[in-house]
Amino acid sequence: MSYPLEIENLRTQIRLRHSVVQAVSDLSLHIEAGETLGLVGESGCGKSMTGLSIMGLLPPGGSIVGGSVRVDGRELVGLPEPELQRVRGNEVAMVFQDSMTSLNPTRTIGYQVAEPVRRHLGAGKAEARERALEVLGLVGLPRPAERLDDYPHQLSGGLRQRVLIAMALACGPKVLIADEPTTAMDVTIQSQILHLLDDLKKRLGMAVLLITHDMGVVAGRADRVHVMYAGQLVERAGTTELFDAMAHPYTQGLLASIPQLDQPPASTLYSIPGIPPDLADPPRGCRFAARCPYADARCETEPTLAVTGPARAGAEHEVACWHPVEGPLPRLAAPTPAPSATPTPGPTATARPATEPAPGPATGPQEDERAELVAVTGLVREFPVRSGLFGRSGLSVKAVSDVSFTVRRGETFGLVGESGCGKSTIGRMVVALDRPDRGAVALRGEDLATLGGRPLRRRRRDLQLMFQDPYASLDPRVRVGATLREPLEIQGIGSRREQDRRIRELLAEVGLPGSAVDRYPHEFSGGQRQRIGLARALALSPALIVADEPVSALDVSIRSQVLNLMKRLQATHELSYVVISHDLAVVKYLADRIGVMYLGRLVEVGPAAEIYAAPAHHYTAGLIDSIPVPDPRAERSKPRDGVRGELPSPVHPPSGCRFRTRCPAAQAICAEELPPLRPFGPGHAAACHFPLREPEPDRPAAPVATLATPVTPVTPAGRTTEQTADPSTPDSRRTP
Amino acid sequence: MVLLGISVLVFVLLHAISSSPGRAVLGVQASAASVAAFNHAHGYDRPLPLQYLSYLGSLLHGDLGYSYKLNQPVTALLGENAGRSAFLSAVSLVLSVVIAVPLGILQAVKRNTVIDNSLTGLAFVLYSIPAFFLGLVLIEFFSLRLNLLPSEASQATTVLGVVADPVSMILPVVTLTAVSVAAFSRYMRSSALDNLAQDYIRVARAKGLTERQVLSRHLLRNSCLPIITLVGLSLPALLAGNLIVETVFNFPGLGLLFFNSLQKEDYPVLMAYSLIVGVLTVLGNLVADVALAFTDPRIRLH
Repeated sequence: MSYPLEIENLRTQIRLRHSVVQAVSDLSLHIEAGETLGLVGESGCGKSMTGLSIMGLLPPGGSIVGGSVRVDGRELVGLPEPELQRVRGNEVAMVFQDSMTSLNPTRTIGYQVAEPVRRHLGAGKAEARERALEVLGLVGLPRPAERLDDYPHQLSGGLRQRVLIAMALACGPKVLIADEPTTAMDVTIQSQILHLLDDLKKRLGMAVLLITHDMGVVAGRADRVHVMYAGQLVERAGTTELFDAMAHPYTQGLLASIPQLDQPPASTLYSIPGIPPDLADPPRGCRFAARCPYADARCETEPTLAVTGPARAGAEHEVACWHPVEGPLPRLAAPTPAPSATPTPGPTATARPATEPAPGPATGPQEDERAELVAVTGLVREFPVRSGLFGRSGLSVKAVSDVSFTVRRGETFGLVGESGCGKSTIGRMVVALDRPDRGAVALRGEDLATLGGRPLRRRRRDLQLMFQDPYASLDPRVRVGATLREPLEIQGIGSRREQDRRIRELLAEVGLPGSAVDRYPHEFSGGQRQRIGLARALALSPALIVADEPVSALDVSIRSQVLNLMKRLQATHELSYVVISHDLAVVKYLADRIGVMYLGRLVEVGPAAEIYAAPAHHYTAGLIDSIPVPDPRAERSKPRDGVRGELPSPVHPPSGCRFRTRCPAAQAICAEELPPLRPFGPGHAAACHFPLREPEPDRPAAPVATLATPVTPVTPAGRTTEQTADPSTPDSRRTP
Repeated sequence: MVLLGISVLVFVLLHAISSSPGRAVLGVQASAASVAAFNHAHGYDRPLPLQYLSYLGSLLHGDLGYSYKLNQPVTALLGENAGRSAFLSAVSLVLSVVIAVPLGILQAVKRNTVIDNSLTGLAFVLYSIPAFFLGLVLIEFFSLRLNLLPSEASQATTVLGVVADPVSMILPVVTLTAVSVAAFSRYMRSSALDNLAQDYIRVARAKGLTERQVLSRHLLRNSCLPIITLVGLSLPALLAGNLIVETVFNFPGLGLLFFNSLQKEDYPVLMAYSLIVGVLTVLGNLVADVALAFTDPRIRLH
C-alpha cells in the first residue's frame, strides 16, 4: 500500500555563490491519510526546505540531489516541470506562513481561489467561481458570496489565512503542507485556524504535514512528531510518546526553553547554548554535539535513527543520539542540568528549589510596599480617520479608552491582548513619545504631559524602550559602540573616556564581548541584536523599560536566553518593565502583574499568577484557553472554544462592554451598560457584568496603590454607556 | 491652485527677464519714446499685478497673447504645432511602454544572466547618450551613409499629413523612444524583481500555474503600477525631449517653435510654452493618479 506522502532519504542542496548549503540531509518520512505529522525545529533547520522540496518549489540554486518523494506512490523527483505543475495545487497543496503577503493584492479573492480549479479541473469561469464559493464556506469565511469580489486588503489577517487555506483546498488535495500556518497570529486566531485545519483534515481525509517551530502547536494537533535539527531528523515518535519520553537532548532543550504557564516566575529558563551550525559546512558526527551537554568522543561519529527505550508495540520511537535522555527535563526544576548550558555565566539569579509552589511572584501583591513609579490614569488616545479630499471625516480610531494602572519600582507589568487592542499605543505614551488626548502618565508623581523641552528630555533618562524587531531597530550603518554612546552623548553624561567605560560595562552586562564596539549590527545574530537593544535601553540606567514584544521575533532557544537576561538585569538594577506582548506565556513568565486589554479598554488587571489561575473576565479566560500548551494531553482535553470571531473595528467599537460581540455570556445589559471594574481580590479587578467568579462584595475597589483609578461610579441612572475620563478627577497620589 | 501658481511664476519670471517688451519688439534702434508709447499702448507700463490680472483674464478666454515676432496670436501658433508634437510624443510613449514592460519582465525573470546583463548595459548606454547626439548618429548612419531613411522629419502641415508619411518619422520616433525605453525598462526590471520575490508569486506557483500564467496573471499588473506613475510624470519630460528631437530633425512641432522663439526672444510664445509644460506636469500627475486608482484596488477614489 502506498501512503499519500512518502519521502525517502531526501537530500536537498542550495547552491550559493561561494558555498553549497546542505539544507536537508537524508530525511525520510511518511504520512497516512487523515493523519497530521508535525515537523518541528528552529529556523534554518531545513523544515521549510522539506516542504518546498515536496512541492518542487525550491528557491533559485536549490535542487533535490537524492532520494525520493512519492505522492500516492507516484515519484515526484525527476518529474518534468509541466507534470509537476499538474501535481502542485492539485494533489499536493501548500499553505504558507504570511497571509499578508501571500495573496495578490490586485486580484479578488474569488479569482485567486478559483484559479487552481480552472487550472487543474478544467472548470469554466462560472463553475470555478461556484467551487470557490463552496471552499470559502468550508473554511468558515463569513458570508462568502458577498466576499468573493473583495480584495485581500479588505480582509483581516485571520480571514486572509482562511482564504489561503481555501485556495489550497480548492482542488481537494491528498496532501496539505502547512508551513507555519499560524506564526505571527494572535493566539485567538491561531487557535481558530488550527482548529479549522484539524477539522478539515478529518472531513476531507487529507494527509497534513504541519511545519512549525512551536512545540505547543504540534502537541495539540499532530498525531506524530518529527524533530529536525540542522537538516536532519533527530527524533521521531507519536506525539504523546514524544512529550512523555523524549530521548534527544535537543528535543528536551527545545521544550524546556519555552516559558510555560505553570513555570514559576522565579526560575531561570533553560536555554540551549550556542547557535545552530552553518549548513554550508555541517560538522562531522552528530550535528548537535557542539551544543549538547552530554557530548563526548563518541559523538564524532554520526548517530543514526534507531529505536529507543522500551520498544512498545505500536510506538515507533526513534532517536539519533548516542546518549539519549529519558523524558523531558523536570518541569519545575530551575537549575539547568549542565553548567555549560547557561549562556551567560555570572550572577545568574540563583534559582529557587524545585519544590516551591508555582503561584505568587517573588513578592506577593499584599506585602508589596515598593514605591510607585509610574501611574497611568484615565488614559485616552484617539486617532482621527482621514478620508476624502478634505481630510477630517469626524471618525476616529479609539485606540485607548480610559486605561489606568500603576507600575511600582522593580516590578514588571505585563500588557496583553490581541493586536490592535492599543497595547503599543499605551507603551508609546508611557515613554512620552505620544501624548494622551485625556488622562495622564505620571512618573514619580510628575505628570509627563506638563513637561516639555529640557525637563522632558531629562526625564527620558528614566524611560526607555526595547523594540520587537532586532533588525529594524538598530541603524545598520552605525557601529554598536556609537549606538550605545548616543544616549550618553545626548544626555551629556560623562567624558569620552567615561562613556567608553560605560559602553564596555553595558556590553558585558548583556553578555556580549567588548570587541562588539567596533562591529556593525549585521554581524550579529537576532538574539545578539536584541541584547544590543537592551544594552542601549540600559545605557542611561533608566527606572523603567517598556519592552514591546521583546522576543517575538526570536527563535525559541534564543528567546529563553533573552528572557533570562531581562530577568537578571531587573534583579540587579531594580528595573521596572512594562512588557507588551501577545504571547501570554512570555508575559506570564516575566510579569508580576498583568493588564488584559481589549479594543482599547483594560478589561482585567491583577497579579499574574491569579489572573492565569482564576481569570474573572471571559476574554481573559478565552485568551488563556487559546494558548497552545506543549502538553498533548492538556492540549487535547481543552475545551475548543477560545475566543470566537474577530476583533471589531476600533472606529465603531460595540456599545457597552466592547467584548460583548464575542462573549459567550453576553446579555442585553452588556450592550447598554459599560461594566465597571469590580474587585476580585487584592489588586485584582475585572470589568464584566457576568464574571466567571464572584466579585468581592463590599470591599472598596482595591487599594488605590494597586488599582490606579477608583472604579468609576455608576451614574444614578445606571446608564454609563460610555465612560469618559475626567482629567480633572482629583488624584490623591499626585498631591505631594 | 497649482495651475494658478504656475501662471504667476511664469509671468513674474518672464517679466524679470524682459520688463520692456516694447524694446524687444521694436528693436534696439527704436527711440525711447516709441518704446514707451508701445508699452503704454499695450498696457506694459501698468503695475505688475494689474498686468498679471489682464494676462490671466485673457488666458481664461483662451488668449495666450500675441507674438509680435511672428505676427500671429500665440494660441493659433500653438494650435498649429501642438498636433504634430502630440503625435510624435504619443507614438513614442506608446512604443516605449510596449517595449519596456516586457523587456523589464524578461530581465527580471532572467536575472543576472547574459541576456539581463547585456540589456542592462544597452539601457545604460542609451540612457546616458544625449538625445541630440543619438539623433545625429542615427542620421549619419541611416540617411547619410546607408541612405535608407530621410534625415528630416515630415514637413506636412497637418497631423494626417504626418501620418501619411511614416518613413520620415522613423528616426525621430526611434530617437525619442530609445531614451524612454531605457529609463522605463530599468524601473520595470526593479519593480518586477520586487514583485517576483513576493510570497504571492510563490503561492501562484504552488497552485500549479504554468510560469507563463504566473507572470501574466500575477506579476504583470503589479509590476506595472510604478510604471503608471512614471509615465504620467514623464509627460512634460517627453515634451522637453521633443524640443531636442524636433530641432535635430527639423520637425515643426512645439519644441521647434520654442527653440526658434528662444532665439528670437519671442516672450509671449515662451510664456505660453512654459505654461503648457506646467499644465502637462499637473495633468500627468492627475492622469497617473486616476489610472492607478483604476488598476490598484488598494487605492480608492473618495
